[in-house]
Amino acid sequence: MDLTPRHEIEEPGHLRRAIHRRRRWSIFAITVVLIAAMAVITAQGLRNATLFFRNVDEAIEQRAELGDRRFRIQGRVIPASVQGESGVTTFQVVYGCAVALVRHTGDPPELFKSPWIPVVLEGNWVPGDIQTVAGTDSHYFRSDRMLVKHTNEYASANEQRVSESPPLGFLDTCPFKVPVNTS
Amino acid sequence: MPGGTNSTEMTATPATRVLGISAVAATAPMILLGLAISPADVVQGEAVRMLYLHVPSIWVAYGSFVLTSFSSLLFLARSKRRPDGGRHYDRLAGSAAEIGVLFTAITLITGMLWGKVTWGTYWQWDARLTTTVLLFVTYLGYLALRRLPADPMVRGRRAAVMALISFINVPIVHYSVDWWRTLHQKASLSVGRRPEITGEMYWTLLYSVLTVTIIAAWLTVHRYRVIRLEELRDEENLEMLISSRRNEKTADGTGHGDTT
Repeated sequence: MDLTPRHEIEEPGHLRRAIHRRRRWSIFAITVVLIAAMAVITAQGLRNATLFFRNVDEAIEQRAELGDRRFRIQGRVIPASVQGESGVTTFQVVYGCAVALVRHTGDPPELFKSPWIPVVLEGNWVPGDIQTVAGTDSHYFRSDRMLVKHTNEYASANEQRVSESPPLGFLDTCPFKVPVNTS
Repeated sequence: MPGGTNSTEMTATPATRVLGISAVAATAPMILLGLAISPADVVQGEAVRMLYLHVPSIWVAYGSFVLTSFSSLLFLARSKRRPDGGRHYDRLAGSAAEIGVLFTAITLITGMLWGKVTWGTYWQWDARLTTTVLLFVTYLGYLALRRLPADPMVRGRRAAVMALISFINVPIVHYSVDWWRTLHQKASLSVGRRPEITGEMYWTLLYSVLTVTIIAAWLTVHRYRVIRLEELRDEENLEMLISSRRNEKTADGTGHGDTT
């Protein structure tokens, strides 16, 4: 750490300016990199963060407004509704007593097989006469991206068995019955 | 290091050795509890074991950033009243921030690995993940600011102000899962909220928080001492340079130093 450069005696102005320029550039470069990183993160985050997904009842309510636009939908998978054939998994998701049929292309995550697991699906509404546990519907949800949204509840696998029944109180007020998979 | 190395330049003392031994001793049961004794989760299976590193890491990071902010506040408030100009608080703020950044990085890495197994993806720009990475980048910027060449007191004041601004994001990260819809689950441990974790899993998590806190405290003390040693080295170098220049001037008798 030489704080008194010997050459400064011969060329004080030139060297001092060079050092100051280098310092200014390093401060400027670091500031620019940090501001750019924070801008990218904030822009990416704010775009998605405020409304990361719509629950099934909201997505059905906003169907006309959403049209064929891509969005994320969230609900719990009804275990007895899951069927898979040739890379397409068909199942029903429920939230707030509203049910949507989903046709998902691609391999579901490992935890998808867990009964009543909450999932977030990315895709769009497609017109079609379909039947769900809640009755008939005019659209199904075509999905090509599935994320499993596990909860903050943790229970020992030794003490608790995976239940095929809906989570406590989840469907109590709903006007329809959900079949329970007994296989 | 000019002047050689002696026992006063070591970062360890009997007290920190005890702390270090405690950290190592506590880690072994944590590994045993986390990987073998605690049960698998009914839904997540073995993947739940990531909980015992992920959650303690972010809690320790929060704690470190609290310490950074508190020390920065003291530095700004008391620098004129202390004989060392408040440099003690500045060093404490810097060392705690380093450990906070380290544990935020561990949180992000373990979270990504856990996310791949459970969510089916390493990354999503949801509110929790976005604010956490923002926290990491902000404090990385704080550490970069501390490395910029400047007068120590000026640099300390700039860093202290940035530390206080950066801290705003800490509660935002923690409550993001309550304020916005996120892929990330709600907080596993939160003040005033009953944990949704059963028996052995809960105690393993608490034990892991304690262990990681001891490790972080140990690292913080050592980082503090390393920063102090760096300052001493710089001060010693400066004194040597001034002294050698004075000698040259006396020998030369011209007032000009050797330009070779």
